[in-house]
Amino acid sequence: MSKRRFSGIVLLGLVVAFTLTMLPALSEARNIKVGVIDCYSGPAAVFGNDALNGFKLALEEINKKGVLGGKIDFTTRDTKFKVDIGLNMAKELVMRENVDVLAGTINSGVALAVSQEVAKREKVPLIVWISKSEKITGELGNRYTFSTAENTAMAGKAGAVGLAKKPYVKYWIAGDDYEYGHAIADAVWKNLKALKPDVQKIGESWWKIGEPDLVPYLTSIMAAKPDAVIFATGGASMTNCMKALKTTGFAAKIPSWIHTAIDHAVLKPLGAGAPEGVMGTIQYLFYYPDTPQNKAFVKAFQDRYGAPPGFPAFNAYITAELIAAAFTKAGSLDKEKFIDAMEGLKVKNPVGGLVEMRACDHQIIYPMYFGTTKKVPQYDFLIASDIMTLTGNEILPTCEEVLETRKK
Amino acid sequence: MAFDLSAIGSQFFVGLSRSMILFIVCSGLSFVLGVLRVPNIAHGSLYMIGAFAAYTITKLFPGPEGFWLALVLSPLIVALVSFVAERVLFCHLYQREHLMLLLFTFALMLILGDLVKMIWGAEYRSVMAPDSFSGPVTIFGASIPRYNVFLLIIGPLVAIGLWLFTNKTKIGKIARAAAVDREMVGAVGINVSWVFAFAFVLGCFLAGLGGALVAPTVSITLGMDHNLIIEAFLIVTIGGLGNMWGAMVGSLIFGLTQSFGVLFWPQYAIVFPYTAVVIILIWRPKGLLKSVW
Repeated sequence: MSKRRFSGIVLLGLVVAFTLTMLPALSEARNIKVGVIDCYSGPAAVFGNDALNGFKLALEEINKKGVLGGKIDFTTRDTKFKVDIGLNMAKELVMRENVDVLAGTINSGVALAVSQEVAKREKVPLIVWISKSEKITGELGNRYTFSTAENTAMAGKAGAVGLAKKPYVKYWIAGDDYEYGHAIADAVWKNLKALKPDVQKIGESWWKIGEPDLVPYLTSIMAAKPDAVIFATGGASMTNCMKALKTTGFAAKIPSWIHTAIDHAVLKPLGAGAPEGVMGTIQYLFYYPDTPQNKAFVKAFQDRYGAPPGFPAFNAYITAELIAAAFTKAGSLDKEKFIDAMEGLKVKNPVGGLVEMRACDHQIIYPMYFGTTKKVPQYDFLIASDIMTLTGNEILPTCEEVLETRKK
Repeated sequence: MAFDLSAIGSQFFVGLSRSMILFIVCSGLSFVLGVLRVPNIAHGSLYMIGAFAAYTITKLFPGPEGFWLALVLSPLIVALVSFVAERVLFCHLYQREHLMLLLFTFALMLILGDLVKMIWGAEYRSVMAPDSFSGPVTIFGASIPRYNVFLLIIGPLVAIGLWLFTNKTKIGKIARAAAVDREMVGAVGINVSWVFAFAFVLGCFLAGLGGALVAPTVSITLGMDHNLIIEAFLIVTIGGLGNMWGAMVGSLIFGLTQSFGVLFWPQYAIVFPYTAVVIILIWRPKGLLKSVW
């Protein structure tokens, strides 16, 4: 091949490549592309799929009208609950798929890695929808990261606000020996101590994550006779903990609080065998509040996916609403303008009222519910009763508190 | 911190009952290790299948009879799965090196794990013990869940049954002989292949039984195989490979150090059983009781 012909081909190639890269910018309206990275295999897949269903449901509605003349598209990637895989998937979505926004993740490790290595570095907005680490919008928060999930700081404060209204003084703390467990325990204890200074911690127990049998832990706690116990557990250990609370007779003797104990994803598999009288907190219940909006949301979800929505679906639904509203408000597909539009943005809460994306730390503001597990005739599983609604501002750390953690 | 006797008592019984489940599973693993010389990493998966099968059976037959049916049927289902695996796969591989077998059973664990996900999905499952087992019962002032008392009865029964089988029945004696010298067993004209198949199925039956028994006390989930298999191998190693009583001793050490660790030093309870394992292995690297390897 002659030198001239070769450079001719190179030149032609460059022209083609250039035109191709310019194409999206030239066309008037294009679809918005959301890259969803979440766990769709292993035990965490239940939550990943619930969130995705909530997201899809919201998009159906949104795409009827369209956003900025186009639609919102999405593509999913499975993190397999692994940080390295999640990170690679996020990079691939940004580099090859050119997504406008990243969303997803149940694993806090993935959320933090993507937030630092992809969102912040590549300047692509990331909206975290299940991960509960308070570092996501706290200590490691940044301009490109948002969270529509309740975090450990909020859950802890919600638990503390609820528990402070109860007469218990001597507490025992027990939980999963990993970041989530300790973060939630620290948050409850710090806030409870502040709200009710006379509480005492008489002991702690920590079990390894995935510990199959919690009975020895519970019997030893019962022997110490605390007034109440704060359990900092989640996932599979949560079910173990609930079962053991029942079989040891613990629940009947000592009141306990576990963050998502009133979640139906926890209570439903246990059926009528779940312990009554366990206190819990959550941001979404499909049967409370009993508003027309919530009923319509549950019905639409149930018709499509055959089960009522859980809190991940609720978070992801709000995420979709926020993405649509922010692009509409920004009036363009520019990522920086999108972020500016997201700050302080209010969208409809599927149960009625509004939720707000707090401008200072990019953390969602919504109410949480504090309730106690109870058997009722209309369901074959337990539900929450005696529900207290805690307002968003009551359970969120203040902007000053959050920004203080970022200075460290 | 002061502990009353009842707390120590209930911790003892609860630890003991956990040991019983570990023993049932580990005796199966140990039996397969002893007779077949196969380090079966997929043993944990069979335990998981036992638990999931128990879930399905209790769903199909709600009420207490479902639970009892599950206790009988799920080990049989697991035995059937293992029988197929033995005849189709394992029986061609006994002559291979241990490393090959390790890799093969590891692969089988991954395959079975995925199979469980395809059949039962990724959600947590839960089995409830019959109402007659709910709530605690008091023995010498110590409060223990009823179900754990049931485990305390079942464990020794399985141990006695297994002992009677290996010592008093002909096939059990052949299996034991095969554990010591398989060439000799073949040389006296016994069809070793079928003895092996039987030993393998029996070992896996115990894994299934363990899975069905553990089902009401835990959440049945993918990954329960990994958690168990590590503990099971440690127990079998400290007890002495292939030795049934070794599996019993190992399980007791594991279960009791754990439950007392929780009582005396709850923040660091996780460490106790593993520390015990390390001490034993330094002291007696071949295990506490006689290893057949």
